[in-house]
Amino acid sequence: MKTETTTVNAVNDVSFECKPGRIFSLLGPNGAGKTTTLRMIAGIINPTSGTAVVDGVDLGKSGDAVKSRIGFLTGSTGLYERLNADETLDFFGKVYKLESGAAQERKEYLFEKLGINEFRKKRIGQMSTGMKQKVSIARTLLHDPEVLIFDEPTSGLDVITADSIIDLIRESKQNNKTVIFSSHIMSEVDLLCDDLAIIDKGSIIFNDSFDTFKKEMKADTLTQEFINRVKNS
Amino acid sequence: MKEIILIIKKELTELFRDKKTIINSIILPVLITPILIVVVSKVMEFVNKKDAAKTIKIGLMNAPADFNQLVANDTLNKVTTFTEAADFKTLINDGTVQTVLVFPENWKTDMDSLRTGEIQIYRNEAKRNVNTRVGRIVTNYTEGIKNARIASLQIPMEKLTPVKRSYVEVGEKKEAIGKAIGGFIPYIFILGMWGGCLLAAIDLVTGEKERKTVETTLSLPLSKFNVLIGKAIVAAILGLLPAVFNIIGLVVGLQFIDLPPAFDSFISELVTFESLSLILLLLVPFSIFLSGLLIAIIAGATTFKEAQSKATPVIMFIILPLVMALLPGIELTWATVFVPVLNIGLAVKEITAGTMDMLQYVVILISLLLFSVGAIYLSYRKFSDENAILK
Repeated sequence: MKTETTTVNAVNDVSFECKPGRIFSLLGPNGAGKTTTLRMIAGIINPTSGTAVVDGVDLGKSGDAVKSRIGFLTGSTGLYERLNADETLDFFGKVYKLESGAAQERKEYLFEKLGINEFRKKRIGQMSTGMKQKVSIARTLLHDPEVLIFDEPTSGLDVITADSIIDLIRESKQNNKTVIFSSHIMSEVDLLCDDLAIIDKGSIIFNDSFDTFKKEMKADTLTQEFINRVKNS
Repeated sequence: MKEIILIIKKELTELFRDKKTIINSIILPVLITPILIVVVSKVMEFVNKKDAAKTIKIGLMNAPADFNQLVANDTLNKVTTFTEAADFKTLINDGTVQTVLVFPENWKTDMDSLRTGEIQIYRNEAKRNVNTRVGRIVTNYTEGIKNARIASLQIPMEKLTPVKRSYVEVGEKKEAIGKAIGGFIPYIFILGMWGGCLLAAIDLVTGEKERKTVETTLSLPLSKFNVLIGKAIVAAILGLLPAVFNIIGLVVGLQFIDLPPAFDSFISELVTFESLSLILLLLVPFSIFLSGLLIAIIAGATTFKEAQSKATPVIMFIILPLVMALLPGIELTWATVFVPVLNIGLAVKEITAGTMDMLQYVVILISLLLFSVGAIYLSYRKFSDENAILK
C-alpha cells in the first residue's frame, strides 16, 4: 500500500492594496484562502514567503508593531468567558500598552457608545450573543487601530447583532480607517464595498474597485457574477 | 517580563473563577491528607474493635481439659466438641465452625512423657481474626506446657538460651521509618501535581480552542514565547498548589488527630520546616517540567476529551518510577539522580530519613531544571506550530 502527501499552497502570490477611508472586500468560496490571508496580515500565522506592509510597518520586520495597528474581529476571535467586560478591556488596554488614563477614557467612551454599561460587570460567559458582540467590537476598537480586519464578521449572528457590525464598518470608514472584510454575503458586499478582490484556490482572480466589478458584470446579479468568475477562473 | 506577568495574572484570574480549579487545587488537597489519616485510623480502630467483639466458632476434638479451659476463658468463643472425625473442611466452608483443632488421642501420654504432640488445625487462611485469636490460645497453651517442663526438669533458663543477641543501634529510628514510609509521600504530592497541571494545561491550551479565544490571543501584540511561558508558569503553579495545600492539610490535620505517642513524635520529626522546604523546592522545577511536557502533548488536541486521552498515558511514566523508588535495593546513586520522578521519590526517602546527601540534592535540582527547560522548549515548538494550535 502507498499513500502520498502533497503540499498545497493555501495562498499563492496574493497581492493587493487597501487604502485608508475605503472598505476592501475579500471574497471567495469556502477554502479559497480568505481566512489564511487575513490571518497572515494580522500576524497570527507566518507566510512562507512575502510580507505585508500595514500602516507603513513591515509585518516581517516588526510583527508586534503591526499587531498594535490592527483591530481583528472574526467569528473565531472569542472573548475570555470568565472575565467581565470591564476586565476584558482593561486586559486589552494593557496588552496594547495604552496609558492607563487614556485606556480608561476610551473604554468609557466605547461602553457608552455601544450600550455596554448596564452589563459591564457581567461575566462574558453569562452574556447573550449580542452582548458579547458589543464587547468584541469594543475590544477591537479600544486601541483605535488604523486597520480593521473583519473575517466573516456577521456569520452566525442574528440580524440585529449583524447590523451593529455593519454600522461599525461604516463608521470606521468615515473615521478614515483602512477596513478589510471578508464575506460571502453579497448583500453586505454591495452595501459596504469600495474595493474588491476575489480569491479562489489561493490566487487572486479579480482585484479592482467595486465600481469596475459592477461595470464589467455580465450576469444579472452580483451573486451570479461572483459564481461565474470563480467557475471560469 | 511585563507581558508574562500580564498573561499570568489574566490566566490565574480566569482559572480561579472556575469551580473545578478551586476544588482540585485547594479544597481537595487540603482535606485529602487529614481525611485519609482520620479515615484509615478510624477504620482500623473500628475493624479491630469489631473483630475483638466477634464470636468465633471453634471445633475441638480430643482436646485436654486445660486447653478446653483456656478456650472457655474467652466467653466470646463458641465451642463445638467432636468425639469423632468429621468432614471438617465442609463444616468450615458451610460456617458450622470456623476452625477445628484436632488433638491426638494419646495427647496426655505424649505430654506426660515429654514428647512432642501435634495439633492438627483446620482453618481458612483468609479468616485473619479467627486464626489470630486461635493462634494466641495455642501459643499460650504451648508456653504453659513448656514452662512446666522446664520447671519439672529443673533446667536453668540460661541453658536453654545458648545465644543471646544484643543489638547496638547506630542508625536513628527516624532513618529506618523515614526510608520505609518516605517513598509513599511523593505519591500524594506528585499525583496531586499531575492532576493540577493537567487540568490547568488543558484549560489554558485546549480550553482556549474550545472557547475560540486562541485566535484572539495570537492576534495580540504579544510574543508567542511570552504567551507560552505565561501559560506554562500558571500550569506549574496550579500543579504546585495541590502539593503546598497537601502539606498544609497534613500539618494542620495532625494537630487535630489523636495519634499514638510514638507515631506522633516520629511525625513531628518528619514534618519539619527543613524537610518540607527541601521537598517543596524539588517540586518547583518538576512542576515546570510537567507543565511544559503536558502543554507539548496536548497542543494539537481540539477537545478536552482528546487532550485528556493524549495526556493520560504519561501517568505511567510517573507511577512507574515512583513504584521503583519503593523497591528494596533501589537507592539514590549518581545514576538515579538524573532520572526524573525516580530521583524525587528516592530523594524524599532520604530527606525524611535525614540522610540526604546535599551534593546529590543539588544535582537533582539542576537535572530537573534542565529537564524543565527541555520540556518548555518542546512545548514552545508545539505551541508555535500553526497547524496544531489553530486546528
